[in-house]
Amino acid sequence: MSHSLTSNRPTPWTVILRRSIAVALGVIAFALTSTFAASQKAAEDLPAGPMQAKATTSCLECHEARIILQQRLSKATWTKEVDKMIKWGAVVDASDHDPLVDYLSTNFSPEQPAYEAPRSAVEKASGQKRTK
Amino acid sequence: MIVRSFRFVDLETPVEYFNTWLTPVPHFFVRNHMHEPSELSADDWRLNVGGEVEKPFTLSLSELSKLETHSVVNTLECAGNGRSLHRPQVPGVQWGKGAVSTARFSGPRLRDILQRAAVKPTGKHVMFRGLDEVPGKVPPFIRSIPLEKAIDSDTLVATHMNGAPLTKHHGFPARALVPGWIGAASCKWLTEIKILESEFVGNFMSPGYRFPNQPGKPGEAVKPEDTHPVTALSVKSVISGPLDGASLKAGKVAIHGAAWAGEADIVKVELSTDGGTTWNPARLGHDQAHYAWRLWNYDWKAKGGDYTILSRATDSQGRTQPSTPVWNPSGYLYNAPDQVKIHVA
Repeated sequence: MSHSLTSNRPTPWTVILRRSIAVALGVIAFALTSTFAASQKAAEDLPAGPMQAKATTSCLECHEARIILQQRLSKATWTKEVDKMIKWGAVVDASDHDPLVDYLSTNFSPEQPAYEAPRSAVEKASGQKRTK
Repeated sequence: MIVRSFRFVDLETPVEYFNTWLTPVPHFFVRNHMHEPSELSADDWRLNVGGEVEKPFTLSLSELSKLETHSVVNTLECAGNGRSLHRPQVPGVQWGKGAVSTARFSGPRLRDILQRAAVKPTGKHVMFRGLDEVPGKVPPFIRSIPLEKAIDSDTLVATHMNGAPLTKHHGFPARALVPGWIGAASCKWLTEIKILESEFVGNFMSPGYRFPNQPGKPGEAVKPEDTHPVTALSVKSVISGPLDGASLKAGKVAIHGAAWAGEADIVKVELSTDGGTTWNPARLGHDQAHYAWRLWNYDWKAKGGDYTILSRATDSQGRTQPSTPVWNPSGYLYNAPDQVKIHVA
């Protein structure tokens, strides 16, 4: 038995197709919204701790927190980095130097799991598909 | 794009985009050391040429655009590409595999500009200054290249990329293009070319962008006198598909990617599907240019199991990717064979 193409009553296949399209659109909308939210987040915060506020003031004047969040360094290397940044203009009180190094080397040591970098909306907007 | 940082702008190209010989500009990686110039006007922009020259002069953009144009397809790679893969880890932007892209750059030859300025016999190095905005007391991003490279017929003051004017991220209105060399040599937002008697002295020439003369023990400090400037790129390959962690069906699997070698040509790319025990040649793509990467592919009949797939390239200078990378304190020139782990059901 065939279905009339002019019938106003949806066939079961049409219903399935419409539902599938609605679900697909919902998934796409959610994906785009999520990506937009992630990529448009102006800045991530440094982790909580006694030096969070001072590190924010000293370090984020010139660059965003992600530059720090992605590092996994030993205490000796963090010390060199902090000293270099002070030379380059970061304002760190002498009494805050060691606590700042402790804060950074505790939160961003090689033992910490790797930082997961976000993706920007450019990728989604390009229409390229991932092959994975 | 993978966001390594928005401030400063550092965007990495996902490896799955390495599927076209020329990278579309929106997918071309972005590396900035400083803030991008807040104001750029094509009308107001000037390029000053001076130093050890007989005839210093200034060019406007319209004057620059009247010079003879030359095009070079170049694979541009950040010296720190792959930094996150070094062990122990080192400070800096933690690039994965995608701080590299390829484009057709066009603009006047740098040597034509230098000829007009008439370089004195004392002039041996060419310094580039850009319009980057420097925060705090950070040293300005100024670097120099030797005169021999500057007068190479393929070294440009590029104004176009893939046929369109440079975008702001890529150095509008003009940038240096030093083909085959690390990206840092190709200064963006170029505003001054100065001929020097010797290499420019500044943070981004030393201690920045230097490589140990001899491979040392990973994690060990290297004395400045035991280093040399990083210039040409190494031989390297990247697998653009299947992606690391992929789960695939048994049968024909297309493995593909890109390989490049700076000033040398790629002559061979090999694939291993058994973790590096045996290697088979991949097919090289037709598109090629002296400073550009070669795309490659390999058809594999996959049976069920877990696999580690590796790629390694060999170039016309006889260099092959080393089984272990040369660790260095700044994490430059990582070029161990690429690898992805996949599951075949």
